[in-house]
Amino acid sequence: MNTTDTAAVPSWRRSGSRRRIALLFLVLIPTITSSYTMARLLPERASLVLDALLVAVFGILFAWISVGFWAFMGGLFVLLTKRDRYRVSKSCDGRDLSIPDANARTAILIPIYNEEVNRVFAGVRTVYRSLKQTGSLDRFDIFLLSDSTSPDVWVEEEEAWHDFRREEEGTEAHVFYRKRDNNIKRKSGNVADFCRRWGKNYRYMIVFDADSVMTGESMVRLVQIMEDRSDIGIIQTLPLAVNRETLIARVQQFANHVQGPLLAAGLHFWQLGDAQYCGHNAILRVEPFMKHCQLPRLPGKGSLSGDILSHDFVESALMCRAGYGIWLAYDIEGSYEETPPTLLDELKRDRRWCQGNLQHMRLIFTRGFFPAHRALFLNGVLTYGSALLWLTFLIVNSAQAVSEALFEPIYMPILRKFLPSMPVWRPHWALSLLGSTALLLFLPKVLSALPILVKDFRARAYGGPIRLYISVFLEVVLSMILTPIRMIFHSLFIVSTLLGKSIGWGTQSRDDRGTTWSEAFAAHWWGTLLGIAWGGVVYWIIPSFFWWISPMIFSFVLSIPISVFTGRASVGRFFRKIGLFLVPSEVRLPPILQDLEDNLERPARYSPFGHSRKQGFLRAAVAPRTHALHIAMQLPRRKKKPSPLREEARKRIVEKALQLGPDALSAKEKTALLKDTDRLRELHRRVWTLEDEEKAALWGLALPKEE
Amino acid sequence: MTSIRDTDRWRISRDRVLLYVRALNLPPYKGLDLAVESLKRTGPSSAAESMESLRALLKEHGLDRGVLDSEGKHLASVPPLNRSVMVPEELDRVPWRTSFVQFLRRWKNDLFGKGCAR
Repeated sequence: MNTTDTAAVPSWRRSGSRRRIALLFLVLIPTITSSYTMARLLPERASLVLDALLVAVFGILFAWISVGFWAFMGGLFVLLTKRDRYRVSKSCDGRDLSIPDANARTAILIPIYNEEVNRVFAGVRTVYRSLKQTGSLDRFDIFLLSDSTSPDVWVEEEEAWHDFRREEEGTEAHVFYRKRDNNIKRKSGNVADFCRRWGKNYRYMIVFDADSVMTGESMVRLVQIMEDRSDIGIIQTLPLAVNRETLIARVQQFANHVQGPLLAAGLHFWQLGDAQYCGHNAILRVEPFMKHCQLPRLPGKGSLSGDILSHDFVESALMCRAGYGIWLAYDIEGSYEETPPTLLDELKRDRRWCQGNLQHMRLIFTRGFFPAHRALFLNGVLTYGSALLWLTFLIVNSAQAVSEALFEPIYMPILRKFLPSMPVWRPHWALSLLGSTALLLFLPKVLSALPILVKDFRARAYGGPIRLYISVFLEVVLSMILTPIRMIFHSLFIVSTLLGKSIGWGTQSRDDRGTTWSEAFAAHWWGTLLGIAWGGVVYWIIPSFFWWISPMIFSFVLSIPISVFTGRASVGRFFRKIGLFLVPSEVRLPPILQDLEDNLERPARYSPFGHSRKQGFLRAAVAPRTHALHIAMQLPRRKKKPSPLREEARKRIVEKALQLGPDALSAKEKTALLKDTDRLRELHRRVWTLEDEEKAALWGLALPKEE
Repeated sequence: MTSIRDTDRWRISRDRVLLYVRALNLPPYKGLDLAVESLKRTGPSSAAESMESLRALLKEHGLDRGVLDSEGKHLASVPPLNRSVMVPEELDRVPWRTSFVQFLRRWKNDLFGKGCAR
């Protein structure tokens, strides 16, 4: 399918264009008005450059928050009136959970990278059983696509896959495991690798994150819609954040449940078939994806070149360019994900996303991309760019206030003028500007509870209407506390990215371990010092202005305790106990999440050795069954004969391992042995024949001596 | 002195062999039979000899064939390959420059191209 093949322009495209033009006016007119007001409010004797900069930055930020505001308003309209003739899920209304066409096969892809294996397989088991309940399991296959670099995790994944296969599947295989040798292009490369190997076997693929869970019903519905609408390339669901217990994660879960549906419905209202793909919890049509969505490397050097990190936005733009629609199914339930448990984990993720989004600057003008996708690229850039703009705005503001206090006022700027230029203070203008900005920021939050109350006036799933509104208020307070901290970090990320500092590929933390004081100090000390210095200078020179910026200064100065406090599960649990930030899944656990919880608590398989679950390499070297499994899983691989030099090096690793034990080996050495089945066999054989009891004990082979 | 060392070696061999058969997750009677048999064959010898003997026994009983799937075939964690390609489409990130270059080329061809000379 291609745009040129399409005879008629679909009606949604015309509606979409009209709506977006309306949005443009809704954003631009208030932005111009407020920027003009801002310009008139500035003291006339201040520097013209500073004034211009201030107004420009203010204008961009105002437009930016206006877009968010109107997205919410669109969502409110859709959810309250229930008028949506373009609702994508219409086609499966009243249908059962069958997929009639046997060729409509779907692969569920779970790309993993050094993840918590127990959690990943609990999710797989949950999704598998849920699919089984729909009766359409035979239309789905699950692929675990591992890019894990840790040797221990690699072996653990193999064992978990094999256990799952033995316990759940019997002879019919629906869950597959593939480990890549190299991690070219990270997640997008992993998915592309799947497409090249097995993509032709499937009409659709549903992409998961390692922590995603979807009900079988939601996945069958997605396939039904895709079957019904051949013009759709991607359908994105709205994943609800669940299962976290730290304060910051619970607050985000709450915001995601209360504001998320509104925002998603609003985005759908404005974007229609030009929506964006978020990289997970979405279904994709495989054939056009393979034909049109392979990502090139960005030419040049530096952090904005090379592999495209935030691949999902670019893939959706490419899919749209090929003539396929991308829709946001905001009303399909049963799609879940987990949020980062601490502020530091969130910032670590943002660092990666920031670089990816900044790369999109280089793609904004790409030939053939739709304006909506160019706007989405810009939106992505502004998600982080707005932080730097805001920081600039505040710095310029402070500089202007300080200069006001330090320099003598000039009432006669031009000597020929007969009348002095007196400063004019227009408080009603300032107040209306402040009011309109506050309205754009906070009204959506206040209104977000409305659809919940319309659905159930007692808001039982949120602890009642009073608790719901207290939670909304506290969420606003907490985001006001956290936003300045996020602002300086995002600004730092942008500057460091633009200076060419690239990032590695870290594993996302997915448990409620919290943030220690030392971790918080290491991350926030400079923010604290910045706050003390900034606040100190402003208070010393112009104390009256200090109080205007004090909320931000206090956030900077207290960033260490804030980071620790918000990352504590005990604090999150306390708020749950008093009924605040409740989400429906905490009041009544949906069956799929109950299954996930049960699967997480499955006991570990019996082993006569004292090895922990995490000691994968040790088990592959010692435990006969794990060793045999690992060897068996390497056999189908094409085996190149290693060079004599490499052979020699690996032999030396075996000797080292036998002499000093497994802990003396680096991850690289362990991986080398795991890849070389001959050397691993040799190690296994020789470990079991170790005469020296102390050395054998290093491998977990020594039994206590008899009395 | 020698007998104590022999006892120790015997103990180590016995423990090692028993641990191995236990880790194989064989039915208990089968595992014990194999362990006893291997120790009988080697007598009070080193762990290395006992383990070699156990391995030989496992081979004799067909228990060394590695991990097979439920149909007795080699374990495959992925389906058979069905290869195809994914080629990146061209991304013209600066279309105005491309258009300008194309315009210049066309203009150059019109003025100095072979067609004009003829």
